[in-house]
Amino acid sequence: MSMVDELKELGANVDEAMQRFMNNAALYEKMLKKLPNMMKGTQVMEAIEAGNIDGAIEIAHTLKGVLGNLSITPLYEAYTDIVALLRQNDTEKAKSVLEGSFPVEEKVVACIEKYQ
Amino acid sequence: MLKQQILIVDDEEINRVILRGLFEEEYEILEAENGQVATVQIENNSNIALILLDVVMPVMDGFWVLEYMKTHDLLEKIPVILITGETILDSDDQAYAYGVADVMHKPFYPHIVRRRAKNIIELYQNKYYMQERLKEQEEAIRAQEKKLREGNEFMIDALSSVVEFRSLETGEHIRRIKYFTRILLKYLMKYFPKYGITPAQVDEIARASALHDIGKIGIPDAILLKPARLTPEEFEIMKTHTTIGCDILEKFRDKQDNEFYRYCYEICRYHHERWDGNGYPDHLVGEEIPISAHIVAVADVYDALVSPRVYKSIYANNIAYDMIMNGECGQFSPDVLECFALAKEDFFNIVEVIKMFDFSS
Repeated sequence: MSMVDELKELGANVDEAMQRFMNNAALYEKMLKKLPNMMKGTQVMEAIEAGNIDGAIEIAHTLKGVLGNLSITPLYEAYTDIVALLRQNDTEKAKSVLEGSFPVEEKVVACIEKYQ
Repeated sequence: MLKQQILIVDDEEINRVILRGLFEEEYEILEAENGQVATVQIENNSNIALILLDVVMPVMDGFWVLEYMKTHDLLEKIPVILITGETILDSDDQAYAYGVADVMHKPFYPHIVRRRAKNIIELYQNKYYMQERLKEQEEAIRAQEKKLREGNEFMIDALSSVVEFRSLETGEHIRRIKYFTRILLKYLMKYFPKYGITPAQVDEIARASALHDIGKIGIPDAILLKPARLTPEEFEIMKTHTTIGCDILEKFRDKQDNEFYRYCYEICRYHHERWDGNGYPDHLVGEEIPISAHIVAVADVYDALVSPRVYKSIYANNIAYDMIMNGECGQFSPDVLECFALAKEDFFNIVEVIKMFDFSS
């Protein structure tokens, strides 16, 4: 099984992303490999704990954009919610969604790192 | 032809890579990872056809770039598509208020991004092309107008010179009268705003001044060319050149636009009127005399004094000047005399000046 196939099983909308990369699988994979270094779920949590909500929003917002473009759908949806909840000042709910995303994040990162 | 450029402004490399992939076949791609770098790219590249702009970026964000473009009047020329990760519509409104061409949301839908981008590039190019075409057409019309005006002026001067040549004078008198008239009007416009003279009127009056003596065509040779002083009876006939000029002009009335015709008429008829009412043909007094004719009168008298005529020799510049200022040769309004005083040097230098300028325009 390839990295892309594995990610597909984790809920990534690989076909959509491939279109976005003009069906250039190599380029898609290259960009996917940049993701582990970017995944900063714990940083978002730290910022929230420190009361730096603006900072948390900024990091989460960037992640949301990248996850969306790479079509890592479950994480993209989680971060869409997190950004919205933080904007509504519902930090508790944001934290719980964030915590819920950590296992998925771990699996996605582990999968990608396997191929690096 | 030089490849058109698309500037991609996004802090995330992944996003830039995707957008690059969409456009790099047809366009030269420029990238910037923040607003600051984007403005440098904008300054250094002249062929940018589109900017894809992210909103949230470190250092300087997307709105900062829009602000920069707005202050440099660039939003009219270069279309911007704002690419936002926001799902809320607030920032869309803000963006459109800036004048961005379109707003798109992440994640990208490649076909839509490409199609919209192309449409927008074409739209702006058509707009720009239309503006350029319009400018070209305007220039062509203006050039044509100038040509027409020159042709017109040539005909007027030629016609006026016919009369001059009959009086055994050279056509130079016409050119000098126009020059003197223009100079006097320049000072009148500058120092006597109450007359409300505009640059376009200066031009029209100067052109019309060429026709001041056209009525002399109707004066018999025996009088016009008499190498001695005229008898009172002959002088009465000579005076009719003012009204004969108007009779000629009246035949063309409906062919002439109003203001230019009015100046021609005024100048033909009233360029021998005097401020004290002792002129001819209508014995107008003071401000009854149209300013156009009164200005041409000074120009005509001065030129007559400094030019050789069959019945007299040349007066020196300064003598001619004093004669006019002292009222020995006609009576002029204080305002016009003040303009004449201001124009003194220009008048004296005419021999040098006339060599320097082309008077056809």
